[in-house]
Amino acid sequence: MDKLFAVIRREYLERVRSKWFVIATIFGPVLFGLLMFLPALLASRSKGDDSVAKIIIVDATGTNLGDRIAGRLSGGISGGSGLTQVRVVNPDSIAPAESLATADVMAEKVKGYLVVDSSTVAGQRARYSGSNTTALIDMNLIERGVQREVMSLRLERSGIDPDVGRQIATMNVNVSTERLTSKGRGGSGQINFVFGLAVAMLLYMTIFIYGLNVLRGVMEEKQTRVAEVVISSVPAGKLLAGKVIGVGGVGFTQLVLWLGMSYVLFQIRAPVLARFGITETGFNLPQISFVTAIMLLAFFVMGFMFYAGLFAAVGATVNSEQEAQQAQMPVVLLLVGSIIFVQNVLLSPDGTLSRTMSILPFSAPIIMPLRMTVAPVPPLEIALALLSVTIGAFASVWVASRIYRVGLLMYGKRPGIREIARWIGQK
Amino acid sequence: MPEPAIDIQNVQKSYSNHVAVETLSLTVPKGSVYGLLGPNGAGKTTTIRMILNIIAPDAGSIKVLGKPYDDSSLVNRIGYLPEERGLYRKMQVRRVLRFLGELKGLRGKEADRRIDSWLERLSLRGQPGGEDWGNAKVDELSRGMQQKVQFIGSLLHDPELVILDEPFSGLDPINAQALKDTVVDLKKQNRSVIFSTHIMDNAERMCDSVCIIARGRKVLDGAVDEVRDNRTTRTVALGLVSARSTAVDTVLANRSLVASVDDNNRTMEIELAPDARPQDLLAALVSAGADIERFEVVRPSLHRIFLERVGATGIEEGMSGHG
Repeated sequence: MDKLFAVIRREYLERVRSKWFVIATIFGPVLFGLLMFLPALLASRSKGDDSVAKIIIVDATGTNLGDRIAGRLSGGISGGSGLTQVRVVNPDSIAPAESLATADVMAEKVKGYLVVDSSTVAGQRARYSGSNTTALIDMNLIERGVQREVMSLRLERSGIDPDVGRQIATMNVNVSTERLTSKGRGGSGQINFVFGLAVAMLLYMTIFIYGLNVLRGVMEEKQTRVAEVVISSVPAGKLLAGKVIGVGGVGFTQLVLWLGMSYVLFQIRAPVLARFGITETGFNLPQISFVTAIMLLAFFVMGFMFYAGLFAAVGATVNSEQEAQQAQMPVVLLLVGSIIFVQNVLLSPDGTLSRTMSILPFSAPIIMPLRMTVAPVPPLEIALALLSVTIGAFASVWVASRIYRVGLLMYGKRPGIREIARWIGQK
Repeated sequence: MPEPAIDIQNVQKSYSNHVAVETLSLTVPKGSVYGLLGPNGAGKTTTIRMILNIIAPDAGSIKVLGKPYDDSSLVNRIGYLPEERGLYRKMQVRRVLRFLGELKGLRGKEADRRIDSWLERLSLRGQPGGEDWGNAKVDELSRGMQQKVQFIGSLLHDPELVILDEPFSGLDPINAQALKDTVVDLKKQNRSVIFSTHIMDNAERMCDSVCIIARGRKVLDGAVDEVRDNRTTRTVALGLVSARSTAVDTVLANRSLVASVDDNNRTMEIELAPDARPQDLLAALVSAGADIERFEVVRPSLHRIFLERVGATGIEEGMSGHG
C-alpha cells in the first residue's frame, strides 16, 4: 500500500507542481468565459451593423413594398435610409435590372440585391443574391424584414387600419421555457442545454488531456529506462494503478478548480458584461441534485479509468512521440466518436442513438451525463450505463496492465496486434 | 555450507522467437562478489530480471536470500542497477531519490539523512553551504552525475543483495573507481554483490567467484582462483626486448611446443602444447637467439579462458575485452 501511495504521490505532485498545470488552471476559466461572452458580444455588435441594409432592391411589385423593406432594413436600427437603393421596374425588365445589380455587387458597391415581385406580394417567394449569403444573421434579418413587410402590406390591403397592421406585423412573442421533470421545476430548458453541453465538453476535455498525460508518462518511463528500476520494486499492476489514480487526481483537481473559478466568474459577470456594454440577462445556474452530482463524478472517474487504461497500454507499446501519434489514433477515435454525436443527443435525448450511446462503455462517460442534465433518464438506464462503464474500466485497466508489464521492457520494433495479444495471455 | 545468496536450479526462459536461458544452474555464495560473465546476448540480463521477479522463468527454481524469487518481502532487501540507466528528467534529484527510497520501504527523516550522506560521499554535495546537486533537476546533471544518482538510488535502502547489470559500461575512470570502491565496501559489510559484465579485467580484479554463460548456458563457474587453476594447459607470459626474429617465429610456430599464441604487443600469452614443458620452450627460445625480457609461467587470465571456452562463435559484435 505504501508503495502504491508513493507512486500516486509522485505522479500527482510532479504534475501539480509543473508550470503548465498552473497556467492551464488559471487560463481555463478565462478561456471558457471568453467563449461564453464572445458570442453575446458578437451578437450585440452585429445588431448595430447596418451593412445589411447596403443592398439594391429590385421592386417589380407595383407597390411600395421595396421602400417599406428598405425602411425596415436601414431605418429600423440606425435610422439612416440612404443605404438601400430601391429600383422600381416593370415585371418585364427584371432581367436587365438584375444584370445591372449584379455588376454593382461584383464591383463591391453593395452587398447584394433583393428581387421582389408579384409572387412576393402573394406571400410566396423573394430572391436574394449577394456576397453575404453565408452570413446567417444577415439572411435572417432580410428574411424577417421581407416577411413582416409583406404581411403588413397584405393586412392593409384587406382593409385593416395601417397602424394596427404594422403592430400585428411587428409583434414579437418571446416564448420563455421552463423545464419540468418528475422532481418539479428545474430552470429553463435552454440553460440545461448549455449546461449539459458544458458538462460533456469538460468531461471530454479532461479525459482527453489527462488520458494523453498517462500515455506520455508511461512513454517517458520507457524512454528514459527508469521503468526497469521502478518495476523491480513495484509490481506492474500497482505501478499502473498508481499512475492512473495520480494523474486522474490531477485531472479532478483541475476540474474542481475550473468549476470553482467559473462559479466565481459567473457571480461577477454583470459588471464584466457591463464593461462591454451588454446588459446582463436573467440567467440562473441550473440546480443539480446531490445524487446527480455524485453520478457525474462516478461517470468521470470510471470514464477516465477506461480511457487512461487504453492510453497507458498504447504508451507501453511505443518508443517515440511519432509512434505514439499513430498508435493512439484508435483510442482517440473512440473518444472523438462520442463527442461528435453530442448534437444529436441534445436534439433528441431519448432517441435510440442517445440511449445506445449512453450505455456503451466508451461513450457512456460523456453521453450519459449529457442526457442526465438535459432530460430525465430512467434510473435503470443510469445504473446500466454505470455498470457498463465500470466493467469497461476494470477490463481496460486489466488488459493495460498485462500489456504494460511486458511492453515496458521491450525496446525496438513496435509490436503488432498479434504480438500484443500474446503479451496479454503471457504468464 | 551457509545458505547461498542466490540459488538458481535448472532455470529456463524463452521468448517468442528465441531461447534466452537454457537450463541454467548457479549458486552465489553469501557475502561474495560474484561476476556473471558472458558475451552480449548470452542471457545475463534475462537471468538478472528473473532473479528480480521482473519476468517469470518458464521452468526451474530460483531462491533469493533463502526465499522463492517471487516472495514479496524480497523487494526491499535487494538493490538493482539496470544496464539501461535513466531517471525522471524533470524531477529534482532529491525527490527522485526519495521516491526510489519509498519504493523500497525507506521514508521520512532517515531517507533524507541517507540521501545527504550518499550525495556527499559521491561528491554531489559540498560541505554545508557548498554546491548541492540534490536540489538540481535531473536533466541539469552531467551524464556521469546522473549515473551516480542512479547508483545511490539502488543502494539507499541498504540492501543485503546488490545486483548490478553492466555497471561499468559508459562510466568514466573516476566514476568507475567510485563504483569499485563502493562494491569493495559492500563486500566488507558482508553484503552480496552480483554483477554482470563482459569486461574480464574488472571481473578478474573484483570478483570472488564467476560464472561464464554463453547462449543461455553455463560454460563454467567457481571461485576465480579455482577457475584459473583448474586448467590442464599451462600458459607462459613472454616479453621480448626487440622485435621477433624469424628464428623466434619458427619456435612459436612449433606445434609440439606451442598450442596457441595471443600477441598483446608488449607481452605474448603462450599456451603450451599438451606434452611440452616450460623449460623446453625456454631452451628453444634461447637457442633461437631471442632477447628475453620476461619469461613467466602464469595462470591464464579470465579473458583468455573466456575466449577459449566461449569461442569466437559465441561472441557477437561489440564484445570488448582487454585484448
